[in-house]
Amino acid sequence: MKSFRRFALFTTLATYFLIFMGGLVRVSGAGLGCPDWPKCFGRWIPPTNVEQLPPNIDPAQFNFVLAWIEYVNRLTGVIVGLLIAATAVWAISSFRRQPRIVLPAVAAAVLTAFQGWQGSVVISSQLEPVVVTVHMALALIIVSLLIYLTQEAYYRENREAFLTLRAPRGVIFSLGMLWVIAIIQIALGTQIRSALEILARKFPLSTSAEWIGKVGLLNHIHTVLGVLLVAFSWGVAFSIWKYRDRMSALMRQSVVAMVTLATLQLFMGLTFIALDLTPIVQVFHLWLASLYVGSALLLYTIFRKREAAS
Amino acid sequence: MKGNAAFRTLVLLAVIVILAGGAYFVIKQAQTSVSDLPVLGQLPDFEFTAQSGGMFGRREMRGKVNIVDFIFTRCKGPCPIMSGFMSELYQLYGGTDSVQFVSITVDPSYDSLKVLQAYAESHGVKDSRWVFLWAPIDSVVQLSEQGFMLAADDLPGSHTTKWVLVDKDANIRGYYSGTDEASIEVLKTHVARLVKEMK
Repeated sequence: MKSFRRFALFTTLATYFLIFMGGLVRVSGAGLGCPDWPKCFGRWIPPTNVEQLPPNIDPAQFNFVLAWIEYVNRLTGVIVGLLIAATAVWAISSFRRQPRIVLPAVAAAVLTAFQGWQGSVVISSQLEPVVVTVHMALALIIVSLLIYLTQEAYYRENREAFLTLRAPRGVIFSLGMLWVIAIIQIALGTQIRSALEILARKFPLSTSAEWIGKVGLLNHIHTVLGVLLVAFSWGVAFSIWKYRDRMSALMRQSVVAMVTLATLQLFMGLTFIALDLTPIVQVFHLWLASLYVGSALLLYTIFRKREAAS
Repeated sequence: MKGNAAFRTLVLLAVIVILAGGAYFVIKQAQTSVSDLPVLGQLPDFEFTAQSGGMFGRREMRGKVNIVDFIFTRCKGPCPIMSGFMSELYQLYGGTDSVQFVSITVDPSYDSLKVLQAYAESHGVKDSRWVFLWAPIDSVVQLSEQGFMLAADDLPGSHTTKWVLVDKDANIRGYYSGTDEASIEVLKTHVARLVKEMK
């Protein structure tokens, strides 16, 4: 179980790296770096100069840097996909009597295969906002399944690392809600990102502050929900923190991680307005959000486990 | 145990620094790659007649970002598509005087200034941001071949469908396919960059 748990943890971290890469592709504008899929400009290895382009492609469309950014994202995707598939095979062959191990592993593998295909729709839809948002949401669900799986494996070999605390039902429910709201909040964020891109095409000579102003309602909802999410996270954290002496180190770290991430997110959101949508901040805004989703889910599953065991 | 925690914190910090550094590098590379618009050539001095009757040449192109194409009004093939796209861009950049459109006729024997005026009107031209230029055919061929480095054989029938992006110093900065929407999308990002450079 120990080596399986380590492998599952490694796969989870690799998936988080892939989510980071995906955000980077989006922010650097390389989403259509390769206009086709799965090949890039009709080649398995992207072209390195204009002569290698197929005749039907306008050289003005080709950008060496963007093509390779997108291509590295796809390669990372293939590697992570294989890791997840291997996790599922391992789970089925060694732990077939333990549905809490097998089911999330298989579900993650199936969703990952679907995600690979959905990636092709992202390209063929020319980055249609809803399609991009679905791509992101699927990634969050896959990584959540992997976190659940890793946590289950860890629990099986090391029960005492889990708390000796029975949390109130309200706390467990709240943690589950935080996970759900955070995913909705990220979906809203990716929709805003797409709206900004459309505005940038429509009003190419405006500044980003003007574009943000034009996003309107969606932007206000995202801001209000963000503030509520941070306040709610602190509230839940405080109500658990009373029992910190009876919590395991893992739990305490997860609580600290959750409120830290939530608070950082709020500051990053504010930075956007002050700093003109600095690209690097956009990448981390998205990535920290996905880490927040992970921390909320981890706490939820640990507390629920305690309840089920009692 | 304490040393272990410190080590973990260090690893975490290192990972964040590496990710941030890597992302910063990638974004910078991507930004330079799309803003990298080398000077492909310098336009020679020329002076043609605009549809309004005034003179228009390299001097009038200076200080603005110019999008140039070659058309003729009787053309049934690519010209309606090109002028349609040009008209869309003309509307798109309606709020600024920094972007200017220049269409040069390759059929001067038919396209009199009157014909060009009517053509302009039919494409919704209301101000001097989009000019239609007339010159004797020899001058047009010379400007096309030696100035814009675009072939001009068998005019008007087989004229070029390329659009040319010319910056505020009358330097050629890019060529685009005037009949291909994807190519025009690229042009838009380049126009935005050149306009921001001017400010």
